[in-house]
Amino acid sequence: MLAGGQSLVPMLHMRLVRPVALVDIHRAADLDFIEFTPEGESVRIGAAVRHADLLRHPVLGARLPVLREAVAHVAHPAIRNRGTAVGSVCHADPAAEMPAVLALLDGEVEVLGAAGLYTVPADAFFLTYFTTVLPPEDVAVALRLPLPAPGTGQAFMEVARREGDFALVGAAACLRLDADGRVAEARLAFCGVGDTPVRAREVEAQLAGTVPSAAAWREAGAAAAAHLEPESDAHASAAYRREVAAYLAARVLEAAHRRAEGAFGADGRGGAAG
Amino acid sequence: MPRIVKTQYEYEGRIREQITVVEEDDLPRWGEEAQLRLVGRPQPRVDGEARVTGAARYTADIDLPGMLFAKVLRSPHARARVRRIDTSKAEALPGVRLVLTADNLPPGILKKGPAPLVKEVRFFGEEVALVVADEEETAYDALRLIDVDYEVLPPVLTWEEALAEGAPRVTEQGNVEGGQPVIKTYGDVERGLAEADVVIERTYTTQVELHNALEPHGTVALWEGDRLTVWESTQSVSGVRKGLAQAYGLPDEDVRVICEYMGGGFGAKFGPHRHTHLAVIAARILGRPVRLVLDRRDEDLATGNRPATVQKLRIGAKRDGTLTAIDLVSYQIQGAGGTGGAVGGPARDQYRCPNVRTVEYGVYTNAGPSTSFRAPGYPEGAFALESALDELAQELGLDPLELRRRNFTDRRRDGKRYAQNSFLEAYEVGAKAFGWSGRPQPPDPAELWRRRERGEPLVVRGVGVAAGMWGSAGWPPAYAWVQLHHDGTATVTSATQDIGTGTKTALAMVAAEELGYRLDDIRMRFGDTVMAPWGTGSGGSGTTSSMAPAVRAAAADARRQLLQLVADYFGVSPEQVELRDGVLRVQGAAEGGGAVERRVAEFFRDIGPINIVGRGGRAPNPADLAAISIAVHFAEVSVDVQTGRVAVERILAVHESGRVINPLTMTAQIEGGVLFGVGFALTEERRLDPRRGWVLNPDLENYKILTVKDAPRIETIVLDRPDDQLNNSAVKGIGEPPVIPPAAAIANAVHNATGLRFRDLPITPEKVLAALAAAGRAAGGRAAEKEGVRPR
Repeated sequence: MLAGGQSLVPMLHMRLVRPVALVDIHRAADLDFIEFTPEGESVRIGAAVRHADLLRHPVLGARLPVLREAVAHVAHPAIRNRGTAVGSVCHADPAAEMPAVLALLDGEVEVLGAAGLYTVPADAFFLTYFTTVLPPEDVAVALRLPLPAPGTGQAFMEVARREGDFALVGAAACLRLDADGRVAEARLAFCGVGDTPVRAREVEAQLAGTVPSAAAWREAGAAAAAHLEPESDAHASAAYRREVAAYLAARVLEAAHRRAEGAFGADGRGGAAG
Repeated sequence: MPRIVKTQYEYEGRIREQITVVEEDDLPRWGEEAQLRLVGRPQPRVDGEARVTGAARYTADIDLPGMLFAKVLRSPHARARVRRIDTSKAEALPGVRLVLTADNLPPGILKKGPAPLVKEVRFFGEEVALVVADEEETAYDALRLIDVDYEVLPPVLTWEEALAEGAPRVTEQGNVEGGQPVIKTYGDVERGLAEADVVIERTYTTQVELHNALEPHGTVALWEGDRLTVWESTQSVSGVRKGLAQAYGLPDEDVRVICEYMGGGFGAKFGPHRHTHLAVIAARILGRPVRLVLDRRDEDLATGNRPATVQKLRIGAKRDGTLTAIDLVSYQIQGAGGTGGAVGGPARDQYRCPNVRTVEYGVYTNAGPSTSFRAPGYPEGAFALESALDELAQELGLDPLELRRRNFTDRRRDGKRYAQNSFLEAYEVGAKAFGWSGRPQPPDPAELWRRRERGEPLVVRGVGVAAGMWGSAGWPPAYAWVQLHHDGTATVTSATQDIGTGTKTALAMVAAEELGYRLDDIRMRFGDTVMAPWGTGSGGSGTTSSMAPAVRAAAADARRQLLQLVADYFGVSPEQVELRDGVLRVQGAAEGGGAVERRVAEFFRDIGPINIVGRGGRAPNPADLAAISIAVHFAEVSVDVQTGRVAVERILAVHESGRVINPLTMTAQIEGGVLFGVGFALTEERRLDPRRGWVLNPDLENYKILTVKDAPRIETIVLDRPDDQLNNSAVKGIGEPPVIPPAAAIANAVHNATGLRFRDLPITPEKVLAALAAAGRAAGGRAAEKEGVRPR
């Protein structure tokens, strides 16, 4: 299945894959959509949508700030102009940004199979490095990303060796406050520190109901990082990745909190703020 | 009249002697007072449009009728013996025309030099077999069908292993280049160290850096009878022709080498290389042209690199900063038989010091062979020397610039006076422009660690300075012809090349200036050895400084011939003829004694066919003077204490390289060189598996070359100081000097920002965090030692 070709074409060129047939969805207009569901709960992103389309969209960035922040870290403009969000998720590079966003938001992948359309939730989608549950004969046609409820703040940050590189570590947070300013719901996800995107569910559960504070973010970051089992490679050791993951986690939680507060302050109803 | 001279010149930190034919060079020098119209004014590249529109033809663009494609099978082991190769499956693949191995290379084609395929493998990626096929893809497929039975042997990977008693021999000559270190001694270093008030003794290490020119190495070989034409991505078409003629027992005139456009070489393209020979041999066997263009993996495994270094440096100084001794012992880890650079060059020549010793070991290991790489030895040597001076300045409580000022020298180590040494001016101009004075003292790194532990986002900033030098005066032999055409244009011909630096543009400007033509009327015929005189190879930053005097002399010769014709035609003396911007002005030629004005093309129309070819050769450099280009770089960095990431915010690069011909390409060279240097400081590093010697990052994703998005603010100050005792054009080179100081300037700035001294390149986020943590631990409540902690 050829969409943006940013992973498949290099693999073809290096003769790592030898498909019998290629289905090119470049001009499948039906798959080129960014649409909000009627109830306004989520956004659907079709398989022909480029990363650059996500950045250019007039309201998507404001409705789903974590997506915009994450996509801005994806490679370079030339790659963002061709590469697709769905393609990135299906490629399942654990250091990539889009899979982490999908995991953070508990998004879903809409898949077309012989029996019709079905959906796979994020936490069931990724198996390991570059491997998903998607059967070879089925086609991922869209992502469905839940939009934040009122009183939510989001943030994404990463550390890479160069501009546009895959992250050594990336962290994403989503934080919803209740009317008293306590944490109603916290989500925390990482990229670059495991064989799939990683959610810090234990830490998320511990944060729920707590009073926000800098110390809380720091402790949450440290606790989340302690659970990570990153690999060492030519660019950074596992210890470095864990060390920086703790810091980034604290930073994205803090930033998400600040934005959640701002969201309350701004219009009294809440909603996501950049 | 041509004459034979014995001349001496400095090439990449080493003095060379050469007997050469030179021609008279009696032109007035382009000194400070010369009135020039074109030279010194910014000119866009004469071939810029061809390059950006894709019209330029590089070696990989050459497509000949009947051409076949070749690919190389490389060893997957760092040290091994080939027991047996089964090529039958590859040969049976439809479209495969030839499979070559060390066993079936036909004797007699290559007459001189080692075979380009091996059975005794000395590094990961060494050439074991070649496939030639109708299509490139088929050749790739066939490589996978070759079955090689290797006896895998334990590789020698570190310099300690290589020098250990009883170590396996990596090359026939053993594990040290030349069997022993190169030792140079001036004065008595032990006495100098004894006389010192302060001695700094440190070890600095640098990593293996890969050239990764945008255009890979490549060859297209075509035999027509016994005549050989080779398109080669090369820094020396003349050198490749000479090498091929010798290797195949051909007269020079039967070998033609073409490199019209180049996408960079950085020292790694002075063939003929193994891939060149493979293409030439395969084309000979098959009777068809063969193209062998390397891919990125090939590039990163087997085309050379900047060797890693371990440098043990001792520097002694008096309280006032006067240097009393510099003692350097360096180990260059050169891979399997590669060549290194003059790591000791900066230590020997940059400062005044009575007692200097440099001991340089070239150590062989089972890794890709090194080769010359943009200022070989100097970025490495300067990183050690200029970091150590910063440490010394800190120790003495002296400003680092003041320390350098106090040790200024006006002569090279062999006693020859520098024709011009602009360091003092560069320090002053740079310090003022950068805002050097009043930089704060470095913080206590243990305190930074404590703040980090509190989770505080913290970015600290610092500034640093470092200097570099490079002998780049150019040399003979270098020849050019300037032919005048009937249409009023002129062609400059030489078997030299433009490797992407803007040489053609600079030399077109020189020709136009001297001829009195417009720049648009100059055509450049470089990069082809046929019907062209010997041109210099593009190394040692010497293309322009070698070629400009020759081109200028050739243009002057052509101009003399033209003015004589014009004078004869009008019946006046040549002194009465002026030529500017392609317009002749002849005094006393009009009736009544007035002046006649005529475009050159109009004049030629009146007189029928012409045959005006000016010849020029470069004179030797003055025997009693030495030459250096100098660079002083000021760096400002920020260091994220939480992530350990160093960001270079700003580099101010001050350079003097003699007369500036084209400020536009000169500035471009400096900016590109600075970014190169930042990559050496922070991100570039070839990684080897420590046990097996496999290269872990032979691609552009995992080998981190910096791109425009990573570029700091780069400001350049070019001191335009014609060095007119050196050559008729008063020029020196700029290609390499900009890469020399950045790493040391950045490391010094990182120290200023953090109080941590990094003596091991590259300065990765991981090393920074480790050093901060170590400082924090070492402090244990008390202040960390200023010295900092050496991380591993």
